[in-house]
This record gives sequence, structure tokens and C-alpha cells, in this order.
Amino acid sequence: MSVDSTAEQNRQTMEADIVCVGFGPAAGGFLTELTRELAQDGGATLQSSVMPGMPLQVICYERADDVGFGVSGVVSRARAIRTSFPELNPADVPMAAEVSHEEVLYLLDPGKASRRSALVRFADTALRLLGPVLPLKDHAFKLPYIPPFLRKEPGLTFSLGQFTQWAAGQVMGSGMAQIWPGMPVAAPLFEGERVCGVRLLDQGTDLSGAPGDGYMPGMDIRAALTVVADGPVGAVGQALNRKFGLPPGNEQFEWAVGAKMVVELAPGSGLKPGTVLHTFGYPEPEIFGFLYVHPDNLASLGIFVPSTFGSPARTSYRYLQQWMKHPALAGYLAGAELRSWGAKSLLESGRRGEPYLAGDGYARIGEGSGSTNMLTGSGVDEAWATGVQLAQAVCELVRAGKPFTKANLEAAYVKRRRESWVEQEGRIAEKARDGFASGFSAGMLGMALAGFSKGRLGWPVKLKPPHERLQSLEQFYAGRISSVEIERIRRESRERGEPLHDALMDRVGFEPIALDGKLFVSLQDALLVGGKVQAAHGYANHVVFTHPEVCSDCGDKLCIEVCSGQAIYPGVNGVPAFDREKCVHCGACLWNCSRPGPDKTRLGNIDFRSGSGGLHSSQN
Amino acid sequence: MSKGYHIVVCGGIVPDPLQRLEPVSTPSGPALRNEMMLPAVLDPWAASALYEAAALAKKMPESKVWLVAAGPKAKLQQVMMVTGQKVPFELVAIDAPAGGFTESFAVAGLLAAAIKSIPGLDYSRLLVFGGWESASRGAGSTLQAVGELLEISAQFQGVDELAVAEDGSFTVLERVEGGRHQVSKCSAAPAVLGWATGNLAEPPNNPQVGMANMRAIMPALQKAKAEKLSAEGLSFQHVALPAEQRETRIVKDTPVDVIANEIVDWLRGAN
Amino acid sequence: MERVLFLGHTGENGELGRAALEALHAAAGLAEELGCAFDAGLVGADVQKAANNIGSCGASSFFAVSGVDFAEARYGSDVLAAEALCRKSGATIVIAAGTSRWMRVLAGAALRLGGRIDTHATALGAGQGAVSISRWYYRQRMEAQLSRAVRPWIIVLEPGSAPAWQGEEKAAALVDVPVEVTDAAKRTSFAGYRAPQASEQTIRPDAELLFVAGAGWTKKQADGNIHIEEASKLILDFMHKSNASLGSSKSLVDLQGEGQAVLPFLTHLNQIGQTGATPRHAKGFATCCHGEEPHVVGWRFINERRAVNTNPNCGWAQGKADVLYVADAFAVMAKVNELLS
Repeated sequence: MSVDSTAEQNRQTMEADIVCVGFGPAAGGFLTELTRELAQDGGATLQSSVMPGMPLQVICYERADDVGFGVSGVVSRARAIRTSFPELNPADVPMAAEVSHEEVLYLLDPGKASRRSALVRFADTALRLLGPVLPLKDHAFKLPYIPPFLRKEPGLTFSLGQFTQWAAGQVMGSGMAQIWPGMPVAAPLFEGERVCGVRLLDQGTDLSGAPGDGYMPGMDIRAALTVVADGPVGAVGQALNRKFGLPPGNEQFEWAVGAKMVVELAPGSGLKPGTVLHTFGYPEPEIFGFLYVHPDNLASLGIFVPSTFGSPARTSYRYLQQWMKHPALAGYLAGAELRSWGAKSLLESGRRGEPYLAGDGYARIGEGSGSTNMLTGSGVDEAWATGVQLAQAVCELVRAGKPFTKANLEAAYVKRRRESWVEQEGRIAEKARDGFASGFSAGMLGMALAGFSKGRLGWPVKLKPPHERLQSLEQFYAGRISSVEIERIRRESRERGEPLHDALMDRVGFEPIALDGKLFVSLQDALLVGGKVQAAHGYANHVVFTHPEVCSDCGDKLCIEVCSGQAIYPGVNGVPAFDREKCVHCGACLWNCSRPGPDKTRLGNIDFRSGSGGLHSSQN
Repeated sequence: MSKGYHIVVCGGIVPDPLQRLEPVSTPSGPALRNEMMLPAVLDPWAASALYEAAALAKKMPESKVWLVAAGPKAKLQQVMMVTGQKVPFELVAIDAPAGGFTESFAVAGLLAAAIKSIPGLDYSRLLVFGGWESASRGAGSTLQAVGELLEISAQFQGVDELAVAEDGSFTVLERVEGGRHQVSKCSAAPAVLGWATGNLAEPPNNPQVGMANMRAIMPALQKAKAEKLSAEGLSFQHVALPAEQRETRIVKDTPVDVIANEIVDWLRGAN
Repeated sequence: MERVLFLGHTGENGELGRAALEALHAAAGLAEELGCAFDAGLVGADVQKAANNIGSCGASSFFAVSGVDFAEARYGSDVLAAEALCRKSGATIVIAAGTSRWMRVLAGAALRLGGRIDTHATALGAGQGAVSISRWYYRQRMEAQLSRAVRPWIIVLEPGSAPAWQGEEKAAALVDVPVEVTDAAKRTSFAGYRAPQASEQTIRPDAELLFVAGAGWTKKQADGNIHIEEASKLILDFMHKSNASLGSSKSLVDLQGEGQAVLPFLTHLNQIGQTGATPRHAKGFATCCHGEEPHVVGWRFINERRAVNTNPNCGWAQGKADVLYVADAFAVMAKVNELLS
């Protein structure tokens, strides 16, 4: 008997009414709303079909080792969250504060390292010349006016990790749903076109996935409804995208990797809880930054490196450190200490990247369903709202005795969503980022056009998948570093086994980062000190290079350069190697491959699968 | 032996060992900075004890495992979402502080009272398991006190192995000095065993185990009474991180031979 | 007025071990500081030799619980012995070494006596007439100074925290303290010691050097491959030649339980750090370690520390080690072994 057939024989099945994949803000909204209804209903009208006489049986599986591990500092208007919790007192949620002060800063380049177009340089010069009469301080121009679509007041700054834990506690405490962290979902289960549940990840395997000691085949959880809330790089969402494609006209080409920290500010930093700083312009013009201040001298800060940024040797960690060194921020951060660190991919396509929201047996909510709004820079509240909408739809359908078919879910869930502010604002934001495909200046103009025209105007451009936008190093550094020198730096970096991007950034004039062991630490120490990254044994590698021959021929190795945890590194025969003990599950490798996937089902040649482990920090 | 054991595992919750821990002073004594925000786990040694208990119960029909755990209810609930998937047990929850600066005897009092309140517990089949020390208080003095309060005089600490014979007697391996184990034979239960790491790997997460456990976990958490811990006569003068910082000389870009020579000189006491 | 009792048990040679002599030094010092009397209480099969060895320590009385029932460590009988000695002395402060034998029973004895216990104490004193101690919390990550009002107060001293008592041998007049060991207390019987099953005895508490093998030994090396056999040979060669004690980081030990590639001679007992031991050696030499476990926690009681690591920015070694060699440990150790030959 082959191992495979034995495995299939040993594979167990469990039944539930609803299985939910991932516990982030979308699932938080969904389960908060649903469990309240279930508790009020007491099993009268929301009865289980798998355990007759009982309320709906609802299970949620979260990939990370605990709920709220590795997410981010957030500022949000929190409209949907406050609708769910009208009495919400920020003091009840650790690290939450009312927004008290907002600033948007345009950061000038204090040196000459940043790659700025002639137009941007001209604008910078003009600003500096007018410095004495403008709000220009510490090489930063404070926007005198924050457009309404960017304002967050009245809103909350909070830690998504802490908020998620808090919300999970409420859900579990209701006894009406179960949330199981540390349990990655491998894939959806299909019966024809219908999703009939999920398969959990095999345990007790070697790195290739072959059964080893203590092998336990991932269980099949069969459910009438599968709620897909596993974010933009989640395995189940990706599998649905591959099977069903995206609706005509939609694509998921716009991404960013967010690198972020939670720091403890030194006493007397001058920052009050609820302060919100947004920046753009430095270390590269198209890199956006944020700093949100929480109670107790804690602050979340970070940057977003977008897929429109054409460098083939980009690194979010070094850019984050460089950003923190900018004079406009360095003063606030003097004496601060790193408490937590992490990284995450954002699907910046927003409404444009929306997949099919519902099908037979499944519905999609949250960021992976295209709910993030890239004009307002808001995603958590939108995700929460979509979860609430689905919960309301589920209750409506169960009470009406209607099955979870595509048609019924569209009538109950998708219709709710289309009629909500999430959709209306998402439509306005749909083209807000298009201009960045033509450069930073066009990007800013495009955002303003979309924002002020309420989405009627946008920057005209045809979007391309990330790998088609990448420039070569020679193109990217044209006029700054000669191709001969680039080749030399490339060779030397390879010989030393050190990242190319650091050498290139040093070369163009970014000041090397002096490590102080407190706020500025090496990336490897950030993994340990800040991210507390761990990976339990007995799981397969979740980053797989699908066609090794493609990697062998690839000279860019962008996946290595971009990897947030240095978990992808040079391997044998030019095929990168992967160390899952360093992976923070940011998913950047999924959309940072410079080669198209030969089978056309992926963005690149990398399969980012469901995996265990990652960050162990809940302060992010 | 016709009947299996009643195994009660005492296990607290502690901050995930990789987290940065800093003490702070509070009106009620020392505590950890951001204590409620730190991710918590079942105490690693107590977790070994729980896995050993489950393995023993599996081997011995008619055995049953309870986990008696003290901690703030919300934190305990969160840890149970992870622990509950590992092995079958019934939770007895105590809503009490779980910090390391609490008194071991006060904690032992709560644990012993909770054990005594377990309905149908057969003392002649009772094995009290736990970690030989916690990763918080790190004292190794709680479990003995639990045993005393339950009047159990067969106690073992630093246990790595328990082997049960046909006649119900068992052999215990305890860690002692010099990297050795002391071998002891005990004629019968009841006994207290403070486990070191044991020999079992962490079991995989099992959804069915989770579902089964959770039926009792949530009611146990809802039933948990809020308890206070006394610290009569104990006063802390100060609590601090050891502030040791060395001047590290970094030797790089140096031939291996030179480094090796320097190391050997150092090993031989030449510098 | 306080009264101090030193508690000691004999070792396999019938004498007090070094840790016990350290506790005696601390007890005698504390009594002197307090200006109070102190007693010695000894447990073992025959404790006369041990008592004579410390006969000149200044103890007011030498109480003894001895006999065949007390030859070996066992909770049931040892707890009775400790309790009886404390009651006989009437001591308010009881000081013992943190040996496995005392760590097993003294908490139980404290509870029987209505007292309190602190373990892992590293220092004690009587500033301004009140006894206070320093002890570890959170597995050697925090140090607290505390005092207690409840008596008797049993203080278990961490081995290596005080100088060992030294003095002339002198015939000690033992006061036998009778202890009846009931059958219930004798349900447990001693059945010997077992050394680790590994072919090598790699834990040597008395060695001058602690050699720490980090998880890096089992990771892919520059050529993309894992070299377990070579790593094993290099480490074992070095152990032979240096007579060091071998410690490992947590991750390395944990891998063993998971069927991963590991160094075959390592067991849980080698583990140092957060969930392992915190051994005391004059020198520590860490190889391929990265992370808090070995450098910060496991090295707490290592005097001179050096590390070999390929990462010059290793924030764990910096500030913790005296010297950090940025080099490939495989190459360095091969050369070190050659030089030691």
C-alpha cells in the first residue's frame, strides 16, 4: 500500500455548519456579529444541520501560532467597529487611543541618496527656497491642509494584534464559535464548482511534505459554508482565484509590503497618544510612512514599499531604518526602543482586485476580497464591515431555510456589500493609485484627481503585473551607478553572501545604519528580538519554487532581495533556498518574482502556500 | 493493574519565553511590564507533564487527565485555544494572577483546593503532575506544597521518565547532579511528579481533540472563581534585570589560523 | 532573635559536597552578621565524618538524622529528616544548598513547619538587622531582593553563589535526632543512578570550560548542504581534547524530538538557557549560536566568554561575549582541534 493511499485512509473528516479561514479583522467582524445573533437566538432559528437541536456549529482556523500575531499598528475611523461596539471605550483595548492630532509630511531628501525625478527635484528646490515662509522643518514640509479623504478624525489608533486578541476573546467567551490558532488551512475542498469545506495542513511531515514520524494527515472539515478571510496571500483565497479566476476587468497587480515596528518612545518624545503622522517622499518618493502613537509611550511606525517601485533590489527593512533616520522623525525616536517588528503584504488593488465574492458554498470577506481602500489608506474597518455584512446575510439565509448557494449569497451578502459605504468608497478609490504606474508625481496627481472628483477622474494608464514593471538594476540606477560598477557590486555581494540592496544603497549615498542594539538592530536580530519568529517542526516548506529551471535562468533573484526575513537565500544551481524558521509570512515573495509563472496561474514562479509559524508578537 | 490513573496536571501560564521581560513596580508588588499584552503559553515544563500524562492515560485504560490551571481568565482562555488542541484533558480553571512574583504556597493552596474539589477523584489512583519549576517564578516549590496539602509523601522532581509495571508499581527517573538520573521505584499511587522535559515531542494540533476539549473548557472558564493570592510577610526591596554589559571585542576578516591560535591560547589560559 | 540552621546531606563519599560547604559558609556568615547562634543539621547514612570535616565551623550544635533510611535521596524520608532537624534546632532561618536532594524536599518541609521557602538564592545578608536575600525569577532573567516576616524561612542557595567553607577538621559531638520513617514514607526505594545513554559523557559540571553548540551546526552551510557528520566529529574531537562540558541551545535539543537532523550525542540534559540549565564554569565558548538562549540566559554564570559566529552584527553576542570571532566555526574548530592535538 502506498503512503498516499494510507494517508487518505487515515485522513479524518469533521463536520461543521460554517468553517472560517483566518482570524483577522474580517473574521472578527463576521464572528462578532454571528455569535451575538446565535447567543440571542439560543438555537431557536439558527439551528445546526450537523448537530440538530444545537445552534450553528462555527469553527475558525487561524494559521499563526496565536490570534493577533504579526499584524500592524492601525489608524482607522472605525465606523464599522464602533457600530459593532457602540460602547467601545478605547481604554478597554490595550494600545487603543482616540485620534488627537494628524499631520501629513512630505519628506525631503536630507542627503542626495534618494532617486528623485527632475520634477520632484524642482519641487524640492522650490520648497527649500520658500522654507522661511512655509511650514518646513527638519527637511519636511507639513501639508497645511489634509484632504477629507485622508483624514482619520474622529478615529482610533490601535494595535491590530491587541484588538484582534480582544475581539477573539469576546467571540470565544460567547461559547458560540471556536477559534483555533496554530492550524493552517491548506486548501478548499471542491465538489465540482461547489466549495464543501477545507482541508487542514498535514502535520508530521518533512520539509518536502512527505510523511515523517508522527504524521497526521490534515483533517477535512466539511461545512455548508466556507468563509474565506485569509487575507491577500492566503492559500484558500489564492486557490479560489486560480480555480474561478477574477471577474472580467479585475486584476490583482497592485501590492505593497509594509514593514513596521512597535517602539517604546523615550519619555519626553513630545508625541501625545492619538497622534497620527503620515509621510511620503523619503527614502524614495513613492515610499509612504506612518507613525501612530498609542498610550503608555508606545508607537507603531512603518513604511510601505509598493509594487510600482521599479527597483529589482528593494528592501523594506533597510528602507524602514533609513526612514526612521530622517530628521523629521529621528527627533521623536531618539532614545526609543524596538519592542516588536513585522512585515505584511497589502493588496493595494482594492476594489479593482475584487475576486468573486461568493460562490456555491463559499463567501469571501476582508482584504483578500478587495475591500481595502487605497485612497483613504484604510482596510481594517472595511474588512470588519464585510465580515458583519456576511454574518447578517448568513443569519438571513439560515432563518429563511435557504442553502448557501451562489445565488442566495449574492442576494444576501453581495447585495448588502454593494449597497454599503465599503463599496461606494471603494469605487471612488478604484483608480486612485493608477498614476503611480507612471511615476511618483503622476501618482500623487492621480490620487488627488480621484479623491477630489470622488472617483470620476483618474490617471489614465494600463496596469501591468508586477514582474512586467520591474526595471533592470542598470535601468534603475541609470546615471547614478555605471553598469560596470553594478556588476562589480553584484559580484562582491554574492561572494560575501550579503544582500545586494545594502551595497547599492550605501553606494548611492544612503548613510549606512549604525546599529545601537536598541532601536536599530540587524534584520536577523529583528527576527529574534522584535518578531520572535518561530516555526514549529513537522510542517512542509510553504514557499516553493514551482519551476526550478526558471529560477536557474533568473539573474534578478528579486525574491532574495525582497524577503522580509532573509528566509530566501541563494541555493544550489541558482534555485533559491528557503529557511522556514525565518519566514514572517509577509507573502512578498508571492508578488516579487521577476519571472511570470509558466503555468499562468500565479503572479510569478513562487507558490506561497499555507504554512505554520511566523511572528510571535501581538503588539504589532 | 485493572484501573488506570487519575492524573491531575498542574500547569500555569507564562509569557512566551522569547518575549522581552522587564519588571515594573506596582502597588501590589512587582509585575511585568505590559504583562497582559505579552503572548502567553502553557508553562513549558508543565506542558511536558501534560503530554506525558496524556501518553500515560492512552496506555492505561480507564485513566483520565485533568489540567488544573491558574491565570487571569482572559489569558487562560487564550492559552487554552492552543493547548486545547494538543491532547485530551478536562480543564479545572482558577481565575487568579499568574505572574512569577506570586507566592508559591498561595498558588499551591489554590491548586490543592481545586484538586480536592474534582468530583469522583480517586486518591488511590492519583498522580499529580506538573513542571519541576515554572518559567515564571522558577522556584520549584509549588508542587511539593500541593503534594503536602494532599498528604502525598511519594514525590519526585526533575522527572524525565515514568515507567509503570504490571503490578501497578512504577519506576521514575529524576535529574540529579552530574548529568545523571536517579532511578527510584515506587510501590503505588498516589504520587507527585514534577517533570523536566520528559521524552515526548510536542503533539501535533488535533482539531478533534480541540473540539472535544472545548466542550468542557468554556464551561470550566465560565465557572472559574476569581481568587486572590496572599503574600503574607513578603516584601520586595527591588526587582531588576541583571545589568551586565560586556565590552565585546569583534574579530573579523582574520585568517582562521590566527583565530584558532588565539582561541587555543585562551583555552590554555595564556591570555 | 534569629537562629540560623545550616542543613547538609552527605554525598556518595559520605562527605558534604562543595555546594553544601558554600551554604555552610553563607549560614555561618549570616549568623555572625546577625550576632546569633547557628546550628548544623546533617542527613545521611552516617554523618560523623561529614560533621568532623566541619567541626570547627562554629555551630552551636551538630544535629544528625542518620541511618540506612537516609542513605539515599527519597522524598518521604528526607522531608521528615529536614522537618525534624528544623524543629530540633528551633531555627528561624534555615540555609541549604540547591542540590537535587534538598530541592526535592525543602518546600514540603517548609510547608509542614508553617514557614516559607525561597530557592535559587544568590546572596543573603542582614543589612540593618533584617535578613534579605537576592534570588532569581523568570529563569534567571530577573533578580529580586526580598525579605520575609514569616519564620522559619528556608533559603536554598544556588550552587556557586558563595565561597565554600574551609576550616580545620575537628571531632564534632553529634546530637542524634530520632526520626521514625513509616512504611508509607518508604513506598519509594532507591534503585541506582543512570548515566545518559549517549556514548559520550558530555556533561561535566566541574569542567573549566563550557562548550556551547548552537543550532547553526545543523543548518545548511555555504555549499547549501547540511554537514551533521562533520559537525559531530569536530565537536566530539574538541570534547575529547578540551575536557569541556557540552551545552546546547534549546532549538538544537528540541529538534531531536522532532526527528530532524541533529547532533546525535545531544540530549535534553545538555540543554542550557531558558528551559535548560544555567551552568557555572570559568570559561564559556559558544559556536554557531544566535539568539537569547545561550548567550543571555545560559551564560549567566560563565566568567570568560567567547563566541564564533558568522554574523558580525549578532546582537546577542555583542555585549554578552568578551570576544566575538566572525568566522566559519567548521574551519575554526578543525584548526583548534589540530592545535590541541
